[in-house]
Amino acid sequence: MAKFILPKKSKVKKGEKFDADHDGDNTKKFSVYRWNPDEDENPRMDEYNINLDECGEMVLDAIIYIKDNVDSTLTFRRSCREGICGSCAMNIDGRNGLACLTPINEIKGDVKITPLPHMPVVKDLVPDLNHAYAQYASIEPWMKTDSPAPTRERLQSPEDAQKLNGTDGKGPSGCILCFCCSTSCPSYWWNPDKFMGPAVLLNAWRWLTDTRDEAKGERLDQLEDPFKLYRCHTIMNCTNACPKDLNPAKSISEIKKLMVERHS
Amino acid sequence: MVKSNNSIQSDLGKAKGLGSAHTGTHHWLMQRVTAVASVPLVFWVVYSIFKLQGADYAAFTTWLASPVNAVLSILFVLNSFYHAMLGNQVIIEDYISCRWFRMTKLIGMKLFFIALGVACIFSILKISFAGGM
Repeated sequence: MAKFILPKKSKVKKGEKFDADHDGDNTKKFSVYRWNPDEDENPRMDEYNINLDECGEMVLDAIIYIKDNVDSTLTFRRSCREGICGSCAMNIDGRNGLACLTPINEIKGDVKITPLPHMPVVKDLVPDLNHAYAQYASIEPWMKTDSPAPTRERLQSPEDAQKLNGTDGKGPSGCILCFCCSTSCPSYWWNPDKFMGPAVLLNAWRWLTDTRDEAKGERLDQLEDPFKLYRCHTIMNCTNACPKDLNPAKSISEIKKLMVERHS
Repeated sequence: MVKSNNSIQSDLGKAKGLGSAHTGTHHWLMQRVTAVASVPLVFWVVYSIFKLQGADYAAFTTWLASPVNAVLSILFVLNSFYHAMLGNQVIIEDYISCRWFRMTKLIGMKLFFIALGVACIFSILKISFAGGM
């Protein structure tokens, strides 16, 4: 049944304040979600007032600065710091995005940072993505063929390759699996156990549209389900959230078109 | 949020669940077909309501008894209730996660719309063939 009351210790409270602006003129306040599974406490929003002249220009630079100089207990994921690994996906100022691609000066007022919405939290800004990764694995994101393997590369025309890459480089193969889109989708919030979510469906389309793949029917069979695919109601938060400017909503529409095509 | 559960089932096992139901396309397509079909039907209903403004019972039953109006009315009822049934199904599937409650609500809702549709069509036919009294 629906629960109308939040579980115990889930209400986010005010946290500590750290003043590390060193009396600079160019300062900014970062309000960051903190939760530690080892402490039996509510989550809290800690406030860090920092001097922007002392750190880089992206939000990721600021949180690295905080970890290095203000509060070493702050936990987050990051790797490439140039928008290709997808590790630093988080909710910044109410919008899902990559901290490394979000300039601090584009955010008016204080910067509020929380983990990706509606995922279990491991610690602070680190969400548990195991289920999303397992859903990705369930669509078997690799090339499946019945014809014997050629002695050289599998050939594809430039036009067919463009379906994957996109004429503007923003085709489905540009997905970095940061899950900004899936965690911005209300349908994924309500039914994450069964709905695949936009990130996984975009990747399903990436294989459906690959002319070298020979398992289209099998892939469509696996997706044809009221929950796996048809929980998508074209809300388009996914396309709005994608930090790589891809279009998961369009990919899902293309899958739905193929479904109709093979029935008619 | 995926509910944490203490089962030691693998993540992939949980994600695959019971597999695909191999349905949904017909539902999705019919929702769109009935939506498009409702455009001319709703125009006709609104036009008819305006035309019949101030008409008494006898005038209205005479109007409804004509074959064209009776057929269009039945089509309107069938199309609207079928569309409503499909739409309600989506809402229930979206928002009710408890399995038995979802199933009960889905069946109850469908029976409700079928009963309502049959009652409407019976009324139209009765007026059409028996003059309404």
